Amino acid sequence: MTSRRGFLKAGGLALFGIGLGGVPGFLMDAVAGTKPLGLFKRRKIMVCIFQRGAMDGLMAVTPFTDQYLKAARPTLFMSAAKGSAVKPLIDLDGRFGLHPSMAGFESVFRDKRMAIVHGIGSPNTTRSHFDAQDYMESGTPFKKGTETGWLNRAVGLLGHDAATPFQGVSLTSSLPRSFYGDNPAVAISNLQDFNIQMRGNIKGANLAAKSFEDLYDQTSSGLLKETGKESFDAIKMLQKTDTKNYKPANNAIYPNTSLGNSLKQIAQLIKMDVGMEVAFAESGGWDTHFNQGTDTGIFARNVNDLSESIIAFWTDMGTLQDDVTVMTMTEFGRTVKQNGTGGTDHGRASCNFILGNAVKGGLVHGTINPLAIENLEDGRDLAVTTDFRSVFSEVADRHLGISNDKVLFPDWNGNKIGVMS
Amino acid sequence: MKAPLKVICSFVFLLLSALLFSSFDKGGSKTIKIVFPYKQAGLTERQAAAHLLSRFTYGAKSGDVDRVLKMGLEKWFQQQLDGNIKNESLDKMLDQYEDINLTNSEVENKYPRQAKVVRMAIRDGFVNKDSVGKGDQKAYRKQLQDYMAANGLKPEGELLRQFINQKILRAAYTNNQLHELLTDFWFNHFNVSLTKNQCASFVPAFERDVIRPNVTGKFQNLLMATAKSPAMLVFLDNFTSTGEQGATTSIEDMQMGEKLKPVALKRLKQLQNKKKAGGLNENYAREVMELHTLGVDGGYTQNDVTQAARVLTGWTLAPMGTDGYGAAMEKVIEKVGEANLQKRGFVRNGDFLFVPTRHDNGEKTVLGKKFAAGGGYEEGVELLSMLAHHQSTAKFISKKLATRFVNDHPAQKLVDKMANTFNSSDGDIKQVMIAMVSSPEFWTSDALREKTKSPFELAMSAVRSLDAEITQPYQLFSWINKMGQKMYYYQAPTGFPDRGQYWINTGSLLNRMNFGLALASQRIPGIKINLSSLNNNHEPESAEAALLTYGKLIMPERNLEETVKRLKPMLNDPELVSKVEKAAAKAPIAQPEVQMKEESGDMMMAGLNKERPRRNANAVQLANGNNTMLAQVVGVIIGSPEFQRK
Repeated sequence: MTSRRGFLKAGGLALFGIGLGGVPGFLMDAVAGTKPLGLFKRRKIMVCIFQRGAMDGLMAVTPFTDQYLKAARPTLFMSAAKGSAVKPLIDLDGRFGLHPSMAGFESVFRDKRMAIVHGIGSPNTTRSHFDAQDYMESGTPFKKGTETGWLNRAVGLLGHDAATPFQGVSLTSSLPRSFYGDNPAVAISNLQDFNIQMRGNIKGANLAAKSFEDLYDQTSSGLLKETGKESFDAIKMLQKTDTKNYKPANNAIYPNTSLGNSLKQIAQLIKMDVGMEVAFAESGGWDTHFNQGTDTGIFARNVNDLSESIIAFWTDMGTLQDDVTVMTMTEFGRTVKQNGTGGTDHGRASCNFILGNAVKGGLVHGTINPLAIENLEDGRDLAVTTDFRSVFSEVADRHLGISNDKVLFPDWNGNKIGVMS
Repeated sequence: MKAPLKVICSFVFLLLSALLFSSFDKGGSKTIKIVFPYKQAGLTERQAAAHLLSRFTYGAKSGDVDRVLKMGLEKWFQQQLDGNIKNESLDKMLDQYEDINLTNSEVENKYPRQAKVVRMAIRDGFVNKDSVGKGDQKAYRKQLQDYMAANGLKPEGELLRQFINQKILRAAYTNNQLHELLTDFWFNHFNVSLTKNQCASFVPAFERDVIRPNVTGKFQNLLMATAKSPAMLVFLDNFTSTGEQGATTSIEDMQMGEKLKPVALKRLKQLQNKKKAGGLNENYAREVMELHTLGVDGGYTQNDVTQAARVLTGWTLAPMGTDGYGAAMEKVIEKVGEANLQKRGFVRNGDFLFVPTRHDNGEKTVLGKKFAAGGGYEEGVELLSMLAHHQSTAKFISKKLATRFVNDHPAQKLVDKMANTFNSSDGDIKQVMIAMVSSPEFWTSDALREKTKSPFELAMSAVRSLDAEITQPYQLFSWINKMGQKMYYYQAPTGFPDRGQYWINTGSLLNRMNFGLALASQRIPGIKINLSSLNNNHEPESAEAALLTYGKLIMPERNLEETVKRLKPMLNDPELVSKVEKAAAKAPIAQPEVQMKEESGDMMMAGLNKERPRRNANAVQLANGNNTMLAQVVGVIIGSPEFQRK
């Protein structure tokens, strides 16, 4: 704690405190919009994206040589062969094909920066979205009452003090289950909202901000005093950059979607050096029971958004790429067989994507057996062959240096599968 | 439906025992002498009244302290525990929410979930199944809307909105404030969540019928009611929990020597095989011990959890609604006949159903107590009763109540005292509450102003202290969410952690300050305040005077010295004041803070896509005497650290 406070004062950022009687300093244009100030030594950042609704892993990354799959999905099966009306899959390794709307992933995969794990999922066989998301986010697939989320525990295991309120950040309107717990984590749906606001009345807002800062500084409640101080420091930190007119690096273009905007703001926070180490964003619409489509349609739109958003983020990171690892997750996969309404129902295993320079990329990890009925879970679903915790814990370990799996994932003692080099 | 004889019997028994009890209780329960030891703690009666109000209401309204003094502190508290003061104006406000009193069955019929609507629309030929998700999405949505309108159906979001609105109005306006706080407390203790779609539509009835009527009664009744409620059965999955093959009553046994009609037999078989996945589900059994009764260190083992889960197999939902849950089971009941089922050990009790063909008939042992084979429904009742009366439960519940109402880390002495009362009064919540407030620990400096208001409490205390008129309660819900408490959406069965540490963080604290400013400057749509009339239309002569006057109105019996000292120099800067006034004249009028998102399958995604309100070019003066500087002062008071405490 002390080191940061000391730095803030020494760095002249306490301008605010001398604004009495005039306009407080924290909004002064003079310091806004300039280059990042480097308040913290940048550490590694793990970015997690939860795809809510259960992504059809067999359509995202299709084992296209599997004849059982072809038979089970008369209108949904896609092939890597050229020449048909449907755009072909991107052949990754002669066995797996990437959905054509995820073309953005091809180059990072070929560059060995992206790894795919197939057959990933939870040991708990529930096919309820709620339960499966809950278990994946708490990280305890057989225990509902776990108070904390795995990302919150990860923050606690980083091994250094939370010098910043932004150590764990979720780009959502309320804190997700993954971040439940006592370690610092904030939910921010829009960086520009992180301020004292009186719409259209900046002077009034400034005056109020000054009043609040003084009041919180004198309160006898330690909790309110300390957090009040942090809040105003945080405002000042964010005010250093012009969040509204942010220009991504390397001409990266984020899709104008919820996920695109979330990742864009995560990129901003990273560049501002606010001390963020664990970030979380969400993507919705994966529950494709009806007409999920093939090269066009709902599913194609979703994977396009996912890949374009992630690639824009990766491009934007530029020289900072070494510091970042992105990992996707989804609560379960979908039935091997298509249903009667051109979609797929709740299944078991799915796949996930991990992007980073220390990833053992260019490979589809995990085990997928031929989709003959005897190889399916309950005779219908892609079997879970990799426990999600073995992948999550490996990424947390290799990227963030979190090795205490007993705390990160209590009740789990499986092995890692080597998705990181 | 005929009430089962058993229920009538037990009711008569309860009535009798109540009569017996009161006739032997010297002087009757009304004259139990309660004395609050606040004088020993060095408090004046006024200060004590303010403390009581801060803990057992959603915030004092102006004049409340005087009213409590006039009535007497102890009497006021007893009246609050009784909780039967009339609420005519509130009742009128609630009348606008026509669906908050629907039964679960009625809800199932009127508010089908989106996926079900799609299925129904396809079935009725209203929507072509091949068009779902394809082509013009707008036209498709319109089709579905038309279908719903034509069939008198509504989207679930509307029900939930009415439900949330009623909670806010009750908290703001009910005269039975303590009952409302306890409803919140017990709901959170037995938390169920709207994030779980399958149980969301049962949650309104859960609060209304399961929690609300039981908040000051015997703990056992509360526990039993929650165990049998559809919301809890679904939220913690017990409704699917089934005994292992061979352990449940066989169809042959079901025949009981009589020949059932072949069609009835067939239906019974269907019932048994209904959940093919089935099997034992331990979720409820674990949480009922860990979270609802004994506490995590309450002395149970994994084996106790498994055994308890076996005891509770077959506890499930009764069919409800024409197309609702268990419509297939309704057919079974029709065919087999209610009397036939009862004879065979089925128990139907409102929305609850015990199905013996799914119940594990074997012998079990939980916490050392043996449950003989063939115990049926009754052994579950026995188990819950045992848990409700366990020593660990008395301590666990007492500590939780003290944490909510006294301070975040209640003294062991206080908890012990309350636990003793819990034990000696058969878990009578009312008695435990009295024991708590009659203890010196409730009145010491370790308790005064030591609790941090939850975001909900903050919002409610603000509107109450300003005597606000709420016409759009949902606007407050959005703010409360922003401040870190998405009510009814807490995903874990633990409920919101009830600690200041949890409520106060960087983002939420800023939003508390912004809430104060927005509320006082009338920028929250549908929340009307009149600052001037709050002070009997006396305009304060200076900003400093405003600070003092309104500080006292909003925070009665608090020491405002430091607040005034800190704010005075700024408020007395004439240049600054005129700048603020000028800037405010250009400010836009109130706009909805959050664009309501229509019903969506992804509950967690709701609210992500906010639209920013447009700026209104027209200068607008604030209404009736709410001058800007005054609004600013009041906004700062509400956002101040002192007002976050209770």
